[in-house]
Amino acid sequence: MAAGPAPLGGHPRAQKPHLSKMERVVVSMQDPDQGVKMQSQRLLITVIPHAVTGNDVVEWLIQKYCIAEDEALHLGTLLVQHGYLYPLRDPRRLLLRPDETPYRFQVRLNWEQTPYFWMSTLWPAAELDYAIYLAKKNIRKQGALVDHEKVGYHHPSPATPAESSQRNPSPTSGAHSPGSKLIQMHKHTHPIEGVSEGRWGVHPPELGVGKSFPLETFNHPQAHYDQLHRKINHTWDLVVMQAREQLRAAKQRRKGDRLVIACQEQTYWLVNRPPTKTVDFYKRRIECCRKALGRTRVKSSVCLEAYLKFSSQRGPHDPLLSGCLPSNPWVTDDDTYWAMNAPSVAVPTKLRVEQWAFSFRELLEDPVGRAHFMDFLQTEFSAENLSFWEACEELRHGGQAQVPALVDAVYQQFLAPGAARWVNIDSRTMERTLEGLGRPHRHVLDDAQLHIYMLMKKDSYPRFLKSDLYKDLLAEAVVPLETKRRVFPFMWKPRHSSPSLALLPTSTSGEPEAAAGSPGGGDGET
Amino acid sequence: MAKEECKALLDALNKATACYHHLVLTIGGSADSQNLREELQKTRQKAQELAVAIRARLTPPLRDRGLGAEERAEFERLWVAFSGCLELLEADMRRALALGTEFPLHAPRRPLVRTGVEGGASGVAARALSARSLRHEGERDFDVEDLHQLEREILKVGEMIQDMEMKVNVPRWTVQARQTAGAELLSSASAGVSSVGGVSVQQRMGPCDLSKALAATIFSAVLLAAVALAVCVAKLS
Repeated sequence: MAAGPAPLGGHPRAQKPHLSKMERVVVSMQDPDQGVKMQSQRLLITVIPHAVTGNDVVEWLIQKYCIAEDEALHLGTLLVQHGYLYPLRDPRRLLLRPDETPYRFQVRLNWEQTPYFWMSTLWPAAELDYAIYLAKKNIRKQGALVDHEKVGYHHPSPATPAESSQRNPSPTSGAHSPGSKLIQMHKHTHPIEGVSEGRWGVHPPELGVGKSFPLETFNHPQAHYDQLHRKINHTWDLVVMQAREQLRAAKQRRKGDRLVIACQEQTYWLVNRPPTKTVDFYKRRIECCRKALGRTRVKSSVCLEAYLKFSSQRGPHDPLLSGCLPSNPWVTDDDTYWAMNAPSVAVPTKLRVEQWAFSFRELLEDPVGRAHFMDFLQTEFSAENLSFWEACEELRHGGQAQVPALVDAVYQQFLAPGAARWVNIDSRTMERTLEGLGRPHRHVLDDAQLHIYMLMKKDSYPRFLKSDLYKDLLAEAVVPLETKRRVFPFMWKPRHSSPSLALLPTSTSGEPEAAAGSPGGGDGET
Repeated sequence: MAKEECKALLDALNKATACYHHLVLTIGGSADSQNLREELQKTRQKAQELAVAIRARLTPPLRDRGLGAEERAEFERLWVAFSGCLELLEADMRRALALGTEFPLHAPRRPLVRTGVEGGASGVAARALSARSLRHEGERDFDVEDLHQLEREILKVGEMIQDMEMKVNVPRWTVQARQTAGAELLSSASAGVSSVGGVSVQQRMGPCDLSKALAATIFSAVLLAAVALAVCVAKLS
């Protein structure tokens, strides 16, 4: 569950479930009978209904979900930070206070429900929207986009209540250090001590975090306004026109409604503020795109060719496509097929031997094939390669406790300078392997193993396929005969009496078999 | 003159878009009702008619290669504003569709969110349509049909934008806007009217100033009494 506020920026929030859960909570809060108690907010003349106090919200949460007060407070704060609920007194501070401060609900559209590409096409419009909002605010506040609230506003990632209360009593330390950092960034020559008398006229620290320009210059509405003005300068006519028109349209409503809508918009933009895209952001984007360009891509024509070749090669070998000889055991209850194709069998079938020619991996994976390949290598006096490869496989797939011992054994047998079965590895790989042997783990011999594998594949394997040994194997391989088929398959007599449930009860000749073969029948007989 | 016509139409479209945006803000809240949906439909249909008209007027001059640089710049400015407006309209229409499907009017289970907004928005819609008042005449299942129609209209607007991009080649970043930063503050009449509203809007957010308001009224009452007494004294003497 997202612990923080809605992340700044246009990236679609990756987690959907937490938002739909929140929505359910909010909907149940709205229930007229069992929801939170609603009150009316009284201003000077206008009365606006549908306000709730923080206290009520917390109590309702405690009562409905049987949770402790801290948890209810945290949950309420999350609701506020995601924009479902907004505070009426202090709109910038997005947390829930368990006292009489009033809040109100607002309709919040979950952007997660829109597909991702929609988010990115809406993005330019969102900047435009934000620009229009800032222009409207500018008009309303007569040019001062600074908030005149007594309590300073916080960073978009709001501090916890403990932190915020810490800020107020100790304004000197709070106001100076971030401010000094910022000033250091902007003006290198400005002395740190002169922060309070700085150019921006920061108020003396007694007032608390009052008109704190340097502290949050990056997230200041005025800074956003200027930045947007630079960025979408070409549409500024539209921005101004729309801002004016929207304000005029709003005047057609009652004052209470106008206030509510203005509050809603303010909260929306507090929660969903578009990010300040600094230079770093763009640099990272460029890096990402460059990496994406450099990735190897295979043309679809090439991989389709490979796919076709694979299919045509394997077609005759596939038991479902080309039938299996002697017969399909699932159909005829005859398991000769399985017996003939067992992992270690004396005489392999022809199809199997042909499969060894497809790729080196096929050959090595088949135990019979591997054994014959080993024989071949012994005639060529390079059998230690295959033994080394097998030992490395054992290391990779073996138990963790045996790893050090096995590494040592392999080293002694294959890699040590005067070893009995020394394998020929190039110097660089040998160096790297010897370095890694100091701290043995199961993948320490991977480089060497790969080298030997490629050596065998490029060198010994083609020779094996051309060798007499292989040709003899092909000649000796057995091709099983297909069992004769009867005309009516369902009247087959099974070779071995098996309690096969596949025998249909309706077949006349099958019935006695079924009766004799079924376990109940068998029991009855004995 | 073609330019004046275009400008007038663009202003009307701007107004319609702003009103539509304003109406979309209240969907799903406590002020949502059949009337609101009807108003939304009327407003967006008007906006679309205006868009088609503007497009018909703006496309020929921009495709005409023999136009002077000044004139062309002017038309390009209008074009950029127009396409921006259309994008805003499309975005708002999509939001309206999403919200409309989430908050159906006649479903028993999901209540509308109680946002505190009451009162109708017919004034807003009337403003968009430049009419005095609006008649509401929908049937019961209006909102469901309306949503289907809204989907179709979104597609149409999307196609229109796409078409516009293809037909007319105006690089947006080269257009120089007339208004500068802070230009919205310079509009005299509306700013004056809105400042009054602005001041009171601002006041509402201060920590509940009931005591201050009370003090102000007492002070003014005392002042009035003092003035009255002074007048009486002056009359008597």
